[in-house]
Amino acid sequence: MSEGIVTGERGLVELDRAEVAARAERDPEWLRERRLHAADVYQRTPMPTTRLEEWRYTDLRDKLDLEALEPGRPAEVADDPAAWPAGLRAAMDDDREASAHIVLIDGAVVHTDLDPALAAKGVVVESLARAVHDDDMWEDSREYLATQAVSPERGKFAALNAALFLDGVFVRVPRGVHVDLPIRVTRWVSTPGVAHLDRVLVLASEASQVTVVDEVLSDDLASHTFVSNVAEVIARDGAQVHFVQVQRLGRNAFNHTEHRTLVHRDATSDSLHVSLGATTSRLDLNTQMIGPGSRAELLGLYFGDGDQHFDHNTSQDHVAPNAFSDLLFKGALDERARAVFRGIIRVHPKAQQTDAYQTNRNLLLSEDAAANTLPNLEIEADDVKCSHGATVGQLDEDSLFYLMSRGIPEARAERLVVLGFLGEVLSRLSLGGVIEKVTREIERKLENH
Amino acid sequence: MPRNEAVQDLNLDEYKYDFVDSEKHVFRTKPGLSEEVVRQISGHKDEPEWMLDLRLKALEIYESKPMPTWGGDLSKLEETLKEIYFYVRPQDQMERSWDDVPADIKETFEKLGIPEAEQKVLAGVGAQYESEMVYHSLKKEWDDKGVIFDSIEDGLKNHPEIFRKYFGTVIPTADNKFSAMNSAVWSGGSFVYIPPGVELETPLQAYFRVNQERMGQFERTLIIAGEGSRAHYIEGCTAPVYSTESFHSGVIEIVVEKNAHFRYTTIQNWSNNMYNLVTQRALVNEGATMEWLDGNLGSKLTMKYPSCYLIGEGAHGNILSIAYAGDGQHQDTGGKVVHAAPNTTSSIVSKSISKGTGRSSYRGLLQVHEGARNARSNVECDALLIDENARTDTYPYIEINEKSAHIGHEATVSKIGDEQLFYLMSRGMDEEEAMALIVRGFIEPIAKLLPLEYAVELNRLIELEMEGSVG
Repeated sequence: MSEGIVTGERGLVELDRAEVAARAERDPEWLRERRLHAADVYQRTPMPTTRLEEWRYTDLRDKLDLEALEPGRPAEVADDPAAWPAGLRAAMDDDREASAHIVLIDGAVVHTDLDPALAAKGVVVESLARAVHDDDMWEDSREYLATQAVSPERGKFAALNAALFLDGVFVRVPRGVHVDLPIRVTRWVSTPGVAHLDRVLVLASEASQVTVVDEVLSDDLASHTFVSNVAEVIARDGAQVHFVQVQRLGRNAFNHTEHRTLVHRDATSDSLHVSLGATTSRLDLNTQMIGPGSRAELLGLYFGDGDQHFDHNTSQDHVAPNAFSDLLFKGALDERARAVFRGIIRVHPKAQQTDAYQTNRNLLLSEDAAANTLPNLEIEADDVKCSHGATVGQLDEDSLFYLMSRGIPEARAERLVVLGFLGEVLSRLSLGGVIEKVTREIERKLENH
Repeated sequence: MPRNEAVQDLNLDEYKYDFVDSEKHVFRTKPGLSEEVVRQISGHKDEPEWMLDLRLKALEIYESKPMPTWGGDLSKLEETLKEIYFYVRPQDQMERSWDDVPADIKETFEKLGIPEAEQKVLAGVGAQYESEMVYHSLKKEWDDKGVIFDSIEDGLKNHPEIFRKYFGTVIPTADNKFSAMNSAVWSGGSFVYIPPGVELETPLQAYFRVNQERMGQFERTLIIAGEGSRAHYIEGCTAPVYSTESFHSGVIEIVVEKNAHFRYTTIQNWSNNMYNLVTQRALVNEGATMEWLDGNLGSKLTMKYPSCYLIGEGAHGNILSIAYAGDGQHQDTGGKVVHAAPNTTSSIVSKSISKGTGRSSYRGLLQVHEGARNARSNVECDALLIDENARTDTYPYIEINEKSAHIGHEATVSKIGDEQLFYLMSRGMDEEEAMALIVRGFIEPIAKLLPLEYAVELNRLIELEMEGSVG
């Protein structure tokens, strides 16, 4: 992929087709075509406004300045931890248990390692930009890149990512293979003022098992920086996929993640999204129960402070009968932070015997914090069990009082109650390293409370 | 018959108010909405200049606002409205005695059981036929205590100072496209004033009937419940079934003064060719309580979200909504509560039943402003599906800007459980009885708040609709 700048004077407001083609000149033909198509979709798709239900509470005019951004270029960083930023090394040091590591800096892969025993079984963990040139590795996978899961037509940001993504992560697990330890993806952002676009494609073949832990992080950034990530996860019949994403970007980052999972017959998808960093962070999370007997758990955790704005837009699509899905998003908001949760369970007409649940709970820790929650249901089958719940409130006075009556100082008691509240989410997904990392970050935030 | 077929055959949709009187009227406007129509309506009412100005301004606002793209399907409404009669005057004057109401109109209300109910259980009755109130009466004891229960037109004529102080203040003309339309062409509706401290022991009722084909009804109701007063107002609505579409768009404004308690009940049973787009809102002052009991059984499409604006400390809002959507019907209903003062509390309970190709949607807003300390609210939505083609949706909007708020929302969707049915049938009930009992149990929380006669009527309606459902 070349380093050509794609845009004119108006940043990313408009994409020039010829320049998108030039940037993709080293891509295989089929991918170049896909990028050009995505660029066309981007051009004709208007920027979302608050008039759209899905963007009602996030006004992009205040939060994202496309004119000031140009697409990032590959960082020239060696495949050597000594050359990496301290924050990246620290994050890696906490990830001891892993079957593979893949490290991206500013959207481009700088390091990959994979347990040779797994490689021998046909497991692939590779830079996406490299994988697309390798026909053996790529086999029948190309039909999934920016097509069925997150096509450009999904929206403005999906189109932008498909047109311009620099690199990303490709994971493929062959039929019946179990990858017991997590595959650790660490995406570090260092250059401010640009748009970093990358994507993840996970293909879990029939009856395979895999866990991906994806962490995106940076120091505080000197200027407005756009981080775009698309994750496409395909869980074929009977596969089990666990996907964790921890977002710890610094201030001035605008993060957009679009994550879509297709869950086939008797397959299981568990996901956890943790939002701690960035100035604005938007997650579009969709899980499609397209096979009978499929199961999904969608967990979310957020802690906002300062002027952070989190917008979590989730959907559980029950297309096939006999499927189960359960969503739990919990968050605490301090100082002037604001969280939006908009979730929808859609039960399509043929999806009888659906079991679907959705819960969003918010804790307001300061007078100026705010939460908007919109848990929606659209049910077009009758033999279903569906429910949703949402709450907004302050710290539980009884718990606080109890702890204080045991001699715990108020500030400490408050922290314990908040951690207990958020801990419910973490306790539902036991993954070494992640819980400690997230808890430590929340404790750090609570110290300022 | 196998159970599934039995469920298919449940006939909840039989409409018993489908009778037509011959069309008689003393005046009607040309179809469609125009400045000329607005001027004619105002002229017929012999209104003060300020009201005509308000109507004309409202028409401009209506025309400038786009058709809503959310809620129900309004894509064909613009065409329908071109054919609608916006004003039909059925008789020359409103009567105070049923004996003076023209025989055919009186007969209509007799079929609906209104004069009988008036004798037995009501403090006062208003009856609207097409665009005008044809009958209005209040029992003498309440008249003596200073209660005003009149047509909205007489309210404007006889109590101009109260009228002008409150009209359009709870629901401004520009609130939404249909409140603007109503403000331009309003006709009929009630004007109610309950003096401070007066407690009405029996309800006031207004009854709305549309007879004319392609009719638009635009009643406007203004209610002021004085400090410490207590009252219950019931509205009922029916119309014959036509193959063309009719239109109803009311605006109901209520001011509940300090420590007053006001309940507003709607049993909406419009025919299935009616668009029913209504704006209902109450301003609830310090220590006062507002209760909306909203029953939507009829219409083709209803979009209606009764609202409580809790503007005084300790105000309480209560919304109970029940919706039934049969074949071809869409009930897009729910409620709105805005907590704008400390220690305010609210509760929304919504129950819906969808059958055949019916769709019921709960749409609600719960808003807590910064500074509305210790606001508490709970929302519960239950939906029952009686058919594989039925649809139900839940769209709550919860916007919280106050740390000390305590807010909960819950919704469940289920179908009539085989176990419940089996249990009741094992006790010797047939399937039809069992089904009706379950549905009655489902709406019980709402039915029990109605005056006994109305609860009986609602139950009877459900039973009637379940009848002959199992072959």
